Amino acid sequence: MLFAQILVDGVLLGGLYGLMALGMALVWGVLNIVNLAHGAFIMLGGYVVYFLFVAGLDPFAALPIAMLALFALGYVIQRGLLNLIVRSALLNTLLFTFGLNVVLTYLAQLLFSADFRTINPSYAGANVTLAGVTVPLAWLAAFLVAVLLAGLLQLLLDRSRLGRAIRATAQNLDAARLYGVDPRQIYAVTFGIGAALAGTAGGLYGLVAQITPYIGATLTAKSFVIAIIGGLENPLLVILGGIVIGLAEALASLYLGPTYSDVISFGLLVLILVLRPARSLKLA
Amino acid sequence: MSETAPLFEARGLTKRFQGLVALSEVSFRLERGAIMGLIGPNGAGKSTLVSLIGGALAPDAGEIRFEGARIDHLPPFRRAHLGIGRTYQLTKPFPGLSVLDNVTLGALFGAGGGERDRAKAREQAREWLDFVGLAPQAAQHADHLGGPDRKRLEFAKVLAMRPKLLLLDEVMAGLTPAETDSAVALIRRIRDRGMTVLVIEHVVSAIRRLSDRLLVLNHGQLIAEGEPAAVLRDPRVVEAYLGRRRA
Amino acid sequence: MKWRWLALAPVLAVLAGVPWLGDAVLIQFGINALLIATLAQSWNILGGFTGYVSFGNSAFYGLGAYGTAIAMAQWHQPFWLGLALGAVLAVVVAAVLGGPILRLRGPYFAIVTLGISAALSALFANLDIAGKNIGLILPLTRDDAMFYELSLGLLAAATVAVAWIARSRFGIALIAIRENEDAAAAVGVDATRYKLAALILAAVFTALAGGIHAYWITFIDPAGSFDTTLDVRMVIMTMFGGPGTVFGPVIGAFVLSAIYEVLANGISTAAALFFGLVILLAVIFLPKGLIDLGGGFRALGWRYFLANIERHRL
Repeated sequence: MLFAQILVDGVLLGGLYGLMALGMALVWGVLNIVNLAHGAFIMLGGYVVYFLFVAGLDPFAALPIAMLALFALGYVIQRGLLNLIVRSALLNTLLFTFGLNVVLTYLAQLLFSADFRTINPSYAGANVTLAGVTVPLAWLAAFLVAVLLAGLLQLLLDRSRLGRAIRATAQNLDAARLYGVDPRQIYAVTFGIGAALAGTAGGLYGLVAQITPYIGATLTAKSFVIAIIGGLENPLLVILGGIVIGLAEALASLYLGPTYSDVISFGLLVLILVLRPARSLKLA
Repeated sequence: MSETAPLFEARGLTKRFQGLVALSEVSFRLERGAIMGLIGPNGAGKSTLVSLIGGALAPDAGEIRFEGARIDHLPPFRRAHLGIGRTYQLTKPFPGLSVLDNVTLGALFGAGGGERDRAKAREQAREWLDFVGLAPQAAQHADHLGGPDRKRLEFAKVLAMRPKLLLLDEVMAGLTPAETDSAVALIRRIRDRGMTVLVIEHVVSAIRRLSDRLLVLNHGQLIAEGEPAAVLRDPRVVEAYLGRRRA
Repeated sequence: MKWRWLALAPVLAVLAGVPWLGDAVLIQFGINALLIATLAQSWNILGGFTGYVSFGNSAFYGLGAYGTAIAMAQWHQPFWLGLALGAVLAVVVAAVLGGPILRLRGPYFAIVTLGISAALSALFANLDIAGKNIGLILPLTRDDAMFYELSLGLLAAATVAVAWIARSRFGIALIAIRENEDAAAAVGVDATRYKLAALILAAVFTALAGGIHAYWITFIDPAGSFDTTLDVRMVIMTMFGGPGTVFGPVIGAFVLSAIYEVLANGISTAAALFFGLVILLAVIFLPKGLIDLGGGFRALGWRYFLANIERHRL
């Protein structure tokens, strides 16, 4: 039973991890930028939902607001700042988004203090028991939201005009210009969507864990690992990548002890990267 | 290293990409001092063949011999040390370095492991820049060069490696007729310096003037080999280039 | 060329004189600045010249620290032997892991190096001989002047090594790998061997810095030895000063250490915030580092900054 419980926990939490990684994978695939400030967006989304919750709003009703707020923030950051260096060497874009992460983290600390925050509505502790396995309802809801948003993103990319423009831009900037789309606009919208997804994930994260200004770095690292495992092409595969990591961490803390759970996702990553031939990892 | 062995020999070279056959059972030899042309329509497998010879790809079957010894499992840098130099269809300069430094790199490494002394390598690089007519641009950054000059740089860099076998991958694509003429003259002068040249081209006109012999690839198979005039009259070659309408 | 090196002699003399001229606070600041500059300079060997961005050099720093600490605290050996043990550990790890990880490129390499440092941290936190989670206490030596001169000597050695690299065939091979690795292999550069040599060289200097630091502060634990913020600092300082140059990393490390020291006396949050802003502004306006500023500004004036933006914007 313990084993089944661990499996269920791993899958549910993994879905949320997948949602965290979704925005990073999207931005990476389209803009070719590994956004080290991604975790900071997750953190900010968590605070937005937290403060709306404190003001009396249900966390799930607050999610769309966090989404919009983070979309706007992402759009502005891409248009006003990142756009200035978007064609720099990889190291410079990494460094820049790292700097962005530092600024957002310490702004958050100045504004919100370093206190631990949790979003705990009346139903936070509610759960159902199925065949001896306890399913926390908040986790289940977070998982469902993650899958739903991944499905919606997939639809957006496959079916809509905007989605086709985004994919054209990802393939080739010049081709995108020929299509008649302004790559700067597409970049900003894509970055905004990435931030919005991160913000949503942050709100859900606040339901299952504590929020501080400093959670960003680990969540960025986790998102990165998942983006590599899940690939940058297919949103639902990213969720699956999250589930893989969620399960691996759950099993590791069961068999090896909780100190190893962070090491395990890195270990898995190192193994995957080293064993897979280097060329197949190159982004198109 | 027997002197009777040809400089280069491919036997039964086969390469597949995820089930698709890019090259199938390709065999040919290159004699010392020859200019061999390799032509074929788009997607015939020309660039795959260059990558197999240069070592960027490994064959699924077959062998590659250079001066009689098998080289098909050597990494690219070792083949460069043996004396195989290649250019790229999309030129690959070292963008942040000066034109002179680009060519110096060729001299510092290249055949036999290259020149150890940086000053001497630099001197040789100047001579090769002179040879290809790029001396005035020596101090420029490589990524500031225009199209034809980038090709000249690619030539100078690979020549500075002092290769015995030179693989030229579509060096004449996109050149004006006058630029093509000077490229043809340049390749002849290269051969006169004792190098063996394999010229890969999509466009037939220049290569017919230049080559001693021609190879024709189509759908990954070698469909003709011989004197340029005779090969270009071969009905299979005509069909490959013009499609089935004429057949 | 030669006279420029002579011009450095007075600078070195003044730096070497600090323990006799400055107070205790300045000496301690100096040791920290010299050691972090050594880390930046070591990072520069691989990161600046070959373009392989490591976020895991703290792995070598930690190995140097633990090698020294284990030799001194557990086996009661002299400091010098400990330093050597740490350097050997770092070389072995670099040589064994270098092969597989240097095949990875770009962000994949960066993240794997980060993972290696994290994994070593977990490993040492579970080793009895390394004091597990608690760490180790080294014998106390109150001789900051000695630590200062040792750190200065190490930084000088690392800088001489980089100066040699910059003028050698080895160095131009590393630069060729940075500019275009496939093209470098095609002209005959044995990229695998050169990258590995660069990594090992970086590992040695980084481990020695870790060993000196461990003996100086007399206490080490996993979190402080395999410290990711250290990785971030060495990368930022190198980038800020000028990667792939001889003096850029040193200048970057000194300038940023000084700024940070001044700010940290006030509010630490404000200092961190300022640090982040400096990074943002530096990447936008000084993408080639502080060391490029002189020449660039002389050539273009204020337009230098606009030209940098123009080149990298969309």
